[in-house]
Amino acid sequence: MSYAIVRAARLSLEEFAVLSGLHPDLIRRLVALGLIEAHRDTAGALWFSRSELAAVARVQRLRAGFALNYAAIGLVADLLDRIAVLEAALRAAQRRGR
Amino acid sequence: MAEGEDFYQILGVPRDASQEDIQRAYRKLARTYHPDVNHDPGAEDRFKEASEAYDVLSDPETRRRYDAFGRDFRQVPEGVDPETWRRAQAGARARAGAGAGAGAGPGGFSFSEGDIDLDDLLGGLFGSRFGGRGSRRGWGPIPGADQEAEIELTVEEAYRGRRRSITLSSDGTRRSFDVTIPAGVTDGQRIRLAGQGGHGSDGARNGDLYLIVRIAPHPRYRLEGRDLYVELRLAPWEAALGTSVALDTPGGEVKVKVPGGTSSGRRIRLAGRGLPNPKGKAGDLYAEARIMVPPPLSRAERRLFEQLAAESSFDPRKQR
Repeated sequence: MSYAIVRAARLSLEEFAVLSGLHPDLIRRLVALGLIEAHRDTAGALWFSRSELAAVARVQRLRAGFALNYAAIGLVADLLDRIAVLEAALRAAQRRGR
Repeated sequence: MAEGEDFYQILGVPRDASQEDIQRAYRKLARTYHPDVNHDPGAEDRFKEASEAYDVLSDPETRRRYDAFGRDFRQVPEGVDPETWRRAQAGARARAGAGAGAGAGPGGFSFSEGDIDLDDLLGGLFGSRFGGRGSRRGWGPIPGADQEAEIELTVEEAYRGRRRSITLSSDGTRRSFDVTIPAGVTDGQRIRLAGQGGHGSDGARNGDLYLIVRIAPHPRYRLEGRDLYVELRLAPWEAALGTSVALDTPGGEVKVKVPGGTSSGRRIRLAGRGLPNPKGKAGDLYAEARIMVPPPLSRAERRLFEQLAAESSFDPRKQR
């Protein structure tokens, strides 16, 4: 028996599917391709953090906007993340130098 | 969207461009303005425009109909002669113009009311590229991307915080927000406006808009984090003998006690007089001493300085 007292920090596959509007099978596939992060518990069920909702939305936008295949989406997403980190570092360096 | 802008202009290609040229132009624009690549709030609209233009011009059949009937080609039934259509449309415009002011039909589409569904039209703009054309399977509504915009604040605004109206303009569309800027924001800090980012398709949630705070350079104040630096100008005798000086700060005038024997560059710290911190200790204010001499010395001043020079054994260049 379980009692939900606080909002779950993690989302089950079903909850994640409802919130993202995607079919659970597609989500499983995205996890297998490494496009979204998930944690697998001892029973084999997938758990997601809420931040992955933004990640999966970006996968959708990139796929729709560029007709990319999944391997390419993974590469693009990684590069965009790295660019974001570098741009933040650059901005911080410029501020210090001013 | 800029109403009536030509699809060829949007893609930046001539009307007789080849299908290859059209594709190349679109791909370049898509790479530049895709909302995940470009966080500028105006980028999404540019991307949507380019996608809509490409959707129409990339298909030779729809392109032919666009060339013949213009932007409203979707409302034109198959097999209509372009000339007949143009005449009918001009008549409808005249009628709509006569009835205007009394509140014409919804959106000015009065001449073909009932024939078009506005949702179909709007869905055609974004839905076709973000989900349509076979790629819709499996992807339902797609949430919008986060966007970023910079706002510039003065040091005083950052110190006091304020309610400010911010207008973002992108390609003719302007959006205004009333944003409460908390007291003590620092350079580079992000203010999140939930749901004000890129539009989700098919009713999915919008992204967030992040306003990145930039603090404008100030003629008197320099900011490092929440610490404020301000120049404190002193006469040589004030610096030597010590004094009490009134100093303007963003929080109002403060009295600074300058101890005797102060040289240029010495920092006098006024704890807690820097930028306030909503989550803890406020920054400090540092008054940096800078010794100024009277540019033209009066006769009496010169005499006194000469006397001082003769009396004093002080050597500021002596190695300690």
